[in-house]
Amino acid sequence: MGLRKRGLPAFAGRIWVPVAATLLISIATPIVQAAESDDDDAALSLADKTEDKAEKSADWHVYVEGALRESSRQGAGLALHGQRLSLDARYDATIAPSLRAVFADRIDMFRSDASVPGASGNQSVSTLKEAYLSWQAAPDRIADLGRINVRNGVGVGYNPTDFFRAGAVRSVVSLDPSSLRENRLGSAMLRGQALWEGGSVTGIFSPKLASQPSGAPFSPDWGATNNRDRWQMALGQKVTENLSPQWLLSGGAGLPTQLGFNLSALVNDATVVYVEWSGGRSPSLLTQAAVNPFTLPAALRRGDDSAFRSRLASGLTYTTTSNITFTAEYEYNGAGLAQSDWNALARSPLAYAAYRAYAATLQDPPTRQALFLYALWQDVGIRHLDLTAFMRYDVEDHSRLQWLEARYHWPKVDLALQAQLNSGTPFSNYGALPERRAWQTVLRYYF
Amino acid sequence: MKFNLVLLFSALAIVAAEALAAPSAQELLAQSDAVRNPGKPFSLTTSLVEYRNSKQVDSNTLTVYSKADTKSGQFRSLIRFVAPARDANKLMLKNGNDLWFFDPSSKASIRLSPQQRLLGQAANGDVVTVNLALDYKAELAGEEDVLDGDRQKRHAYKLALAASTPDVTYHHIEMWLDSSNSRPVKARFFTESGQLLKTAYYRRYQSQLGVERPTETVIIDGLDPNWVTVMRFGDYAFRDVPEVWLQRDYLPRFKPE
Repeated sequence: MGLRKRGLPAFAGRIWVPVAATLLISIATPIVQAAESDDDDAALSLADKTEDKAEKSADWHVYVEGALRESSRQGAGLALHGQRLSLDARYDATIAPSLRAVFADRIDMFRSDASVPGASGNQSVSTLKEAYLSWQAAPDRIADLGRINVRNGVGVGYNPTDFFRAGAVRSVVSLDPSSLRENRLGSAMLRGQALWEGGSVTGIFSPKLASQPSGAPFSPDWGATNNRDRWQMALGQKVTENLSPQWLLSGGAGLPTQLGFNLSALVNDATVVYVEWSGGRSPSLLTQAAVNPFTLPAALRRGDDSAFRSRLASGLTYTTTSNITFTAEYEYNGAGLAQSDWNALARSPLAYAAYRAYAATLQDPPTRQALFLYALWQDVGIRHLDLTAFMRYDVEDHSRLQWLEARYHWPKVDLALQAQLNSGTPFSNYGALPERRAWQTVLRYYF
Repeated sequence: MKFNLVLLFSALAIVAAEALAAPSAQELLAQSDAVRNPGKPFSLTTSLVEYRNSKQVDSNTLTVYSKADTKSGQFRSLIRFVAPARDANKLMLKNGNDLWFFDPSSKASIRLSPQQRLLGQAANGDVVTVNLALDYKAELAGEEDVLDGDRQKRHAYKLALAASTPDVTYHHIEMWLDSSNSRPVKARFFTESGQLLKTAYYRRYQSQLGVERPTETVIIDGLDPNWVTVMRFGDYAFRDVPEVWLQRDYLPRFKPE
């Protein structure tokens, strides 16, 4: 043990301090050296006993997950119980020189005594996340064909430049943004990418394959993601040692062309700032939702309200010396409803429900402004125990969604306890969610 | 008197010649860097086993692809997680303080700050693949016999390294090099306030890519000596690491054969 752990004794007399300190140091130095030598010897003995264990990478990554869920409705009501069993498999292999095959699918089987989010009663949902071939013609020239989960954006809680998110979530197992990003359908597309030192350009064409989404449990659901022709161009270029902005252009049949921009930068050893923006001329989300005008309040019947509209997610991530990471993000949806219109819409429940359903499918916030706070604390006092918490705060109606997870992991097993609280007035963004509180226990086993 | 002057100048000349012939502390440090790190782009597999109070608490396996920057000379690395299963195929790109993390499941490329330790002990890589001679100014602090990682007495140069660039993790380092061949034996890494951060023993020397290199580093935490990390290196191979690999946009593409 080192001297710093023992501490210096407190001497009252000023004269005695340097004398005593000198004496102490002269006595302590050999003791400290011996103690350090003992510590080093013990550490080296541990290393001597450490076995060689060669782990090899595998092409398949599979886990099963079981969940027990209990929730209570807004207002008074009985507790609802649900169970879920999920199988998640991912295959990623080089099947021939320069040819890579990727396949990822997830099957969620829900059992509930009433309803759980994303599913009602007993049902199974398969999410074909990816299935594509990638041909690397040269180290810097790559083409892909198949269903690919293309995800853009540096935002943590909201990704305005994630243009392929619309209709992609088939089965909601958690409102954690990382789960929503992971457990979703890719889009069928042809993608080409050229890279150079510090930059790349990517072109995507995603064709229309079906007109309507499918509710069939094991459908690849092309209609959810490929119900119109779409395209995207992306250019990334390192401009300084620590700045690599990305510009995007996206559009499609019946879709107004949108420009996108992503940038993150290191402020100091502990802080990253980021900004994600998209913008273009487009109608409001309410107009896009094509809500039956007869169900709309008169104040919201506006015809074509196309205008240049921006979407933004910007924030910073700060990590403490004890490895707690905090993210604070401001989110703006220029196509969403501002406070007065949002309040007006609430007076017409049919239109309100239709609008919310449309915004949820698009994974776009229904209101104009929001704040997102996220914290991750790894190894909370106990090794392998992680705490994650986030809060979404709707600036327009002051409703909140709060989420907390404690997760312990063993080498092949994760055990997580999750709690969610939705609060707000009855027609607010989060107050209108069917559940007020939800608890979930999740057990995951990795093969 | 004349004889004495001749003698004095002769003695001075001999000392000066010896001084010219003997490598400087900085050269010794560069030689020890070359012992640890291959001179051409390479890959290797690292296994980390972590102990707390003599009990194993964690283990990881990573594959590291490294290439020195032609301008700075410092290593840029792509780190691919192999085990445990929950982290398999996750990637980290380290280019100085430009740090990116990629998760193939969520397709998210996230910029990390140097303080953010997303996947545990990977940060200990900085005691291994780093060219210290580029970021530190070395002075010879003496010659002494030290116990090496095999608890054998070894005659060593003790070097005192002081950071010469601001963006380094350790303010100063004490390093012992085998006086006969400049192999690193042991190092102690400190903060600016003199706090010991970690002690590293370089051991299990084996011939890898044509040079006897340490294939194991034992790291002892400076605050808690019961926190020990054993890093083992294997599967050394020279391999082409194209420049296009070492950028954020390539992370989703990275699939080494």
